[in-house]
Amino acid sequence: MPANATTSDGALQQFLLALADDELVLGHRDSEWTGHAPILEEDIAFSNIAQDEMGHSLVWYALLEPFTHKTPDQMVFERDWREFSCCRFVTYPKGDFAYTVVRQFLFDEAERLRLEGLTESSHFGLKEVSGKLLPEERYHLIHSKGLVERLGDATDESRRRMQDAVTIAFPQALGMFEILEGEDELISGGIFKGNRVLQAQWLENVLPVLESVSLRAPVSRTNGSVAIACTPDYGGRRQDHVPHLRQLVEDMQQVYRSIPGATW
Amino acid sequence: MTDTQWETYEVFHQTRRGDAHIHVGCVHAPDPQMALHLARDQFARRLRCSSIWVVPTRELTASDYQDESFFSQATDKSYRDPKTFGAPDKLDPHAS
Repeated sequence: MPANATTSDGALQQFLLALADDELVLGHRDSEWTGHAPILEEDIAFSNIAQDEMGHSLVWYALLEPFTHKTPDQMVFERDWREFSCCRFVTYPKGDFAYTVVRQFLFDEAERLRLEGLTESSHFGLKEVSGKLLPEERYHLIHSKGLVERLGDATDESRRRMQDAVTIAFPQALGMFEILEGEDELISGGIFKGNRVLQAQWLENVLPVLESVSLRAPVSRTNGSVAIACTPDYGGRRQDHVPHLRQLVEDMQQVYRSIPGATW
Repeated sequence: MTDTQWETYEVFHQTRRGDAHIHVGCVHAPDPQMALHLARDQFARRLRCSSIWVVPTRELTASDYQDESFFSQATDKSYRDPKTFGAPDKLDPHAS
């Protein structure tokens, strides 16, 4: 990392922290299905995905270490909830299974596209790590997309629940693309293509899947171009969070904080 | 008890290419593609794996445990078993 040290270090830190915190927090929410999913196999699948996402966060926290001088454990267990940079989207409660499936799909597609873009990054660490994480993320996407395509078009109840989930999750999901402070430096340095480009690619990919099973997202189309017809749920990247994150972080840190520094 | 989950698929796991696929269990799934992915989650994440098969359980034709005569032998056929001579694990093509 020091080999890449430039004026964009601050922006790079912001970017890495956003990636790490998104994966950690969504991984935690997914883990809340362990023992509660409607189908045994999905229980196991979501527990696996939860561990995968947390594993990804570990990789990003490790890339941050030269800047923060904090170990991944310290980043996860010793920070105040108001210091997290995850988007609000990943902090909301797990909801019903339809919401979880829709959230996971919208997240997985964004992550897959972001990682694919980063395999061409000028930043060696990002390039290397994204190539490593990509195959696993593609598998997550096959799983969540497969569930969207099946549940979106199965029974009256599944259709209703999936549509409700899309209506709620879509504006939240746009929060993933909230512009980071100093993002222009990342773009001009060839480190990251930027959240505007990423969001456009994401819309191109998620909308046809939702539409294929008649799920309606709050967007409008005029002359082939897509316009967002809802208010994106921004704030997370500026560490302006909803209280659900406080509850999640308290749960996550409870054991660690009871005996700080303990090992087992 | 009625199974309220999806239908079951039998899962066959192959460790290395060329090995036999071995039955390792079953998964519930709504269709074959999902069965394959869920089987991967359950049986191929910790084991070395080169291939898995999934087969709908309802497609299997099985013998009936009640019908013991299905496997019974009317007369002693042990003379047909090749048990009085040994065979090497591998044949040596250069043996004279």
